[in-house]
Amino acid sequence: MASRSLGQFYPVASLLHGLDPRAKILCVTIFAVGLFLIDTIAGFLLMTLVVGALVATSRIPLAVFLRLLRPVVFIVALTVFFQVLFSREGATLLEWGFIEIHAGGLRLGFLLALRILLLVSVAGLLTATTAPVALTDGIEDLLSSLKKLRFPAHEFAMMMTIALRFIPTLDEEARKIMAAQSARGADFREGGLIRRSRALIPLLVPLTVGAFRRADELAEAMESRGYQGGTGRTRYRELRFHFRDALALAIVMVVLALGILA
Amino acid sequence: MTLELRDVCHVYAAGTPLAVEALRGVSLAVEAGEVLGIVGGTGSGKSTLVQHMNWILRPTSGEVLVDGVDAATLNKSELRRRIGLVFQFPESALFAPTVEEDVGFGPQRMKLGEDAVRERVRGSLAMLGVEHLAQRSPFALSGGEKRRVAIAGVLAMEPEVLILDEPTAGLDPATRQDLLSLVRTLSESGVSIVLVSHDLEEVAEVADRICAMEQGCIQALGTPQEVFYKNPANAPATVRVATVLQNSSIGRPVRYADTLAALRTLMEN
Repeated sequence: MASRSLGQFYPVASLLHGLDPRAKILCVTIFAVGLFLIDTIAGFLLMTLVVGALVATSRIPLAVFLRLLRPVVFIVALTVFFQVLFSREGATLLEWGFIEIHAGGLRLGFLLALRILLLVSVAGLLTATTAPVALTDGIEDLLSSLKKLRFPAHEFAMMMTIALRFIPTLDEEARKIMAAQSARGADFREGGLIRRSRALIPLLVPLTVGAFRRADELAEAMESRGYQGGTGRTRYRELRFHFRDALALAIVMVVLALGILA
Repeated sequence: MTLELRDVCHVYAAGTPLAVEALRGVSLAVEAGEVLGIVGGTGSGKSTLVQHMNWILRPTSGEVLVDGVDAATLNKSELRRRIGLVFQFPESALFAPTVEEDVGFGPQRMKLGEDAVRERVRGSLAMLGVEHLAQRSPFALSGGEKRRVAIAGVLAMEPEVLILDEPTAGLDPATRQDLLSLVRTLSESGVSIVLVSHDLEEVAEVADRICAMEQGCIQALGTPQEVFYKNPANAPATVRVATVLQNSSIGRPVRYADTLAALRTLMEN
């Protein structure tokens, strides 16, 4: 079916899968902020160890997890490249024409790479261990305090749920339309950039039309079943904050404090 | 043109836990100029089967032969021009601003001249009785009109074999009848037709041979008489009535008109 990509839910049973989504979202947020406060190599090595331990507890096979990281490798490489090349801090290690590599640049590049990889890793862990519906429920709950400021928390969460739900549907639809157009002689693989993007028109137009039709149908189906927004709606799955969730939050904070002090 | 499938198997998502065996060794030939009906329940492999006929799907094992040549070695766009495939709900792939341009997409891809394209578009729209819609937007048409236009889009490539996957699903009886008479007209002009359908009555009306699918295998293959009278419980109403009247001289009709004629002679005697 659809290929696994960044942020796809990986359904196994583990300690991380069992945590309350709200606790996980908060942990990831705190962790992300914390990563920007750490600036020593020792601190980052500690964080790398912690994230490694988390990956192990998540019971996601390492190969699958590394595949989640693959799309960001290019971005990391690019940032490190520029960091190393244009930073003029510390002792000069290498001078070749206009290229100068400094110790400070290498260090900064290394820290930056780790920072990005760790950020993506924890975010990836969150989405890989949390079902999309649980994730949006968690977000809705965390944002619900903003409802007083007229922030449409429920609508926001519902939009996210629907968007996630329709990814596989649209993917399947795209395959069907591609097959139908191939039968009429369309070719999506040959030719240069311009020819290829022109070849996408017979795919994108029906796909968009179909998406609007589906949106209409879904809206009607929801209304005919009495949906009228978030007020007064109860949930099938109630979120419960357990002791272990509080513990997870506490651990994250302690570990971060250690990392910042290291 | 003859089209032959030899021991074709197809597995979706092979090598993953989600693997589904959709075809389990299907051997079938489509003879030149015949109307072959393919029937079977949902999930029996009908659509998977026909998508092998013009190489939209590749067999996991087995081979597809076009006039005796392995389809894997043939030019795919040429193959798809000669073997036209109309998918289920083909109207969902309409995309151009006007009906004329949409139907012209296939012939244009064949690198025909402008006049030849226009000629083909006019011809195939006329065959489907919608030439008056040429300048309209395909999105503004009714369901039946959209279906006709989508079928015209494949017909405009003048295929030697035309595969129709559930062409009448969700259509009104008039459009349904029009499509069935189109099938007859085309087959009389020498085009082979493969008609996939849930509707046994309509298959009985037009098919020369019937292939009944079950769980990815061919369960029965032969003339409508052979296939339907073998399993009358799963056959058009005509066959069921005739089976009840078996001891009379009604014979083995599969078409409604034949039954009426047989009953009439029965009553006259």
